Amino acid sequence: MKTIHIFILFIVVAIAQIFVPAQMIFNKESVINTGTAYRFKTQPVDPSDPYRGKYINLNYEISSFVTTDTLWERKDKVYVYLDTDSLGFAKVNQVSKVPLNLNKDFIVGEVWWYNKNKQKLNFNLPFNRYYMEETKAYDAEVAVRNNQQDSIKNNTYALVYIKNGEAVLNDVIINEMSIKDYVEKK
Amino acid sequence: MNSKIQNDIKELVEEQVITNEVAIDIENFYKYKKESSPNRLFTVFAVLGSALVGLGIILILAHNWDNFSRSIKTVFAFTPLIIGQFIVGYTILKKKSATWREASGVFLFFAVGASMALVSQIYNTPGDFSSYMLMWILLCAPLIYLLKSNTLAILHIVFATNYACSYGYFDGNQTPWLYLILLVIIIPHYYQLLKNKKTHNVTSIFNWFLPLSVVIVLGAFVYRSEEFGFLMYVILFGLFYNIGKSPFFDNQKLRRNGYLILGSLGTIYMLMFASFEWLWKDILRHDIIFNSQEFYISIILFLLALSVLIYSHSKKWIQSFNLFQYVFIIFTAIFFIGITSSIIPTILVNLIILVLGIVAIKIGADKFHFGILNYGLLIITALIVCRFFDTNMSFVVRGLLFVCVGVGFFLTNYMMLKKQKSIRN
Repeated sequence: MKTIHIFILFIVVAIAQIFVPAQMIFNKESVINTGTAYRFKTQPVDPSDPYRGKYINLNYEISSFVTTDTLWERKDKVYVYLDTDSLGFAKVNQVSKVPLNLNKDFIVGEVWWYNKNKQKLNFNLPFNRYYMEETKAYDAEVAVRNNQQDSIKNNTYALVYIKNGEAVLNDVIINEMSIKDYVEKK
Repeated sequence: MNSKIQNDIKELVEEQVITNEVAIDIENFYKYKKESSPNRLFTVFAVLGSALVGLGIILILAHNWDNFSRSIKTVFAFTPLIIGQFIVGYTILKKKSATWREASGVFLFFAVGASMALVSQIYNTPGDFSSYMLMWILLCAPLIYLLKSNTLAILHIVFATNYACSYGYFDGNQTPWLYLILLVIIIPHYYQLLKNKKTHNVTSIFNWFLPLSVVIVLGAFVYRSEEFGFLMYVILFGLFYNIGKSPFFDNQKLRRNGYLILGSLGTIYMLMFASFEWLWKDILRHDIIFNSQEFYISIILFLLALSVLIYSHSKKWIQSFNLFQYVFIIFTAIFFIGITSSIIPTILVNLIILVLGIVAIKIGADKFHFGILNYGLLIITALIVCRFFDTNMSFVVRGLLFVCVGVGFFLTNYMMLKKQKSIRN
């Protein structure tokens, strides 16, 4: 093959290599700019990823829903339709195996397990990671734990933008302050 | 040129074995050969260097710099990628040396991973490590062919294995079918290497890495029926052994022949497991599901191994009977006996291992290869050690058995040494 042909093929590959991350960015930006913001009550803990660094794992308060549908397999997709409660936090309206024709925002979660006794479906939300500067991740976990001991009510929540089933976790807020600033202040 | 060759030439001239002209010709030959071959050491260091730089960038980005805004972080994500692409583009256009191709390719490989990792950091994209790996591997796969890079091909195999393990073993019980496509992608490159660079060290790395990768990943293809998973592995090792026995691989040095060694060791390892009765009792207890993906994969592997065996026969590659090559067929038959009984298969498998040990000893003795001879003895020893655990044999009998095998080690080695000496004289 001639050099120029190889080069042209390489340009195609190079464009694909740029396109994939760029497309990820465009998708996420469009969700942040035009999606609806929801607040999810949460509790963070800190692990790390070999390539992407430290993050805090977020355990959400809404992670289960009572449903009479019993045929759920682990790792199945579950469409979670959302509402907001009187305090403005997100709550589950309905769960379903297939998309429903509802005029509500939804997210696609993953089935964790179905509790047959309580008829309760436990699921994971698709935005359970919040990446932080490596020195702050552990402090953040401690800060949240202390904060929960101080105050009676859990006031830690994740700010999530949602649009057409796509969700972008934008920030984690403690006492009305971004967790990044909260950790620095402590 | 090697100073040992230089010394040898000097000695040969002094002893008047070769003339001065011949000596000069030989020296010129080596000089020319050295000039025409690229500096391998430099390539190795360049590849190591760019791999380290690439990994370093990934680690630096993984710090998650909080103080930068999202847009600056985005620029960071693309900088290493664009730099890598420029270097690779330049390498292709200017037709740079192999060193350039390997090093720039490796750098770009890690830059692609780094940029995707950073984007998922910026937007807090969740886990799914395997789909991230898959995208990374696929985006870099064409570079293997565009740059004709061996290092990228090796990275491809290593990362594909990593992907399949994380998808199949760690992310829940799923079958990594896409791993097969990743394997197919690498085959043309491997074929070229086998065809053009049969004896190069790089090719022997592939001869080891490819089968090893398959051995690691095959378990992820076991979905429900673990019993068939066992059979799948025995047949796979039989396939590898038969591939390793083809003259193409068999005529090379043993250490280059990953197929043969993995096939042989794997077969023995699996058979040792099967020599315990509990395995067969376990099979008896479970219902064997014939309509399962494991059963179909076993059939495909069996047909592959069988066709390699038949092809070897038709080409007259197989001169003498070597039980190792047929074990997968015998074991498959035993496996199906095992569905109804547990004692017969246990006895048969123990017999096969014993015969395999003897076969290995015979091959070693015929080839005057101490390694293979002692491998055979080790097989028999391992068999006896295994029986130590689960039989009610009296201690005296076990002790006598061990003494016999120990004496066997001495005698066979001694006899072969003596025979070797007498042939030399």
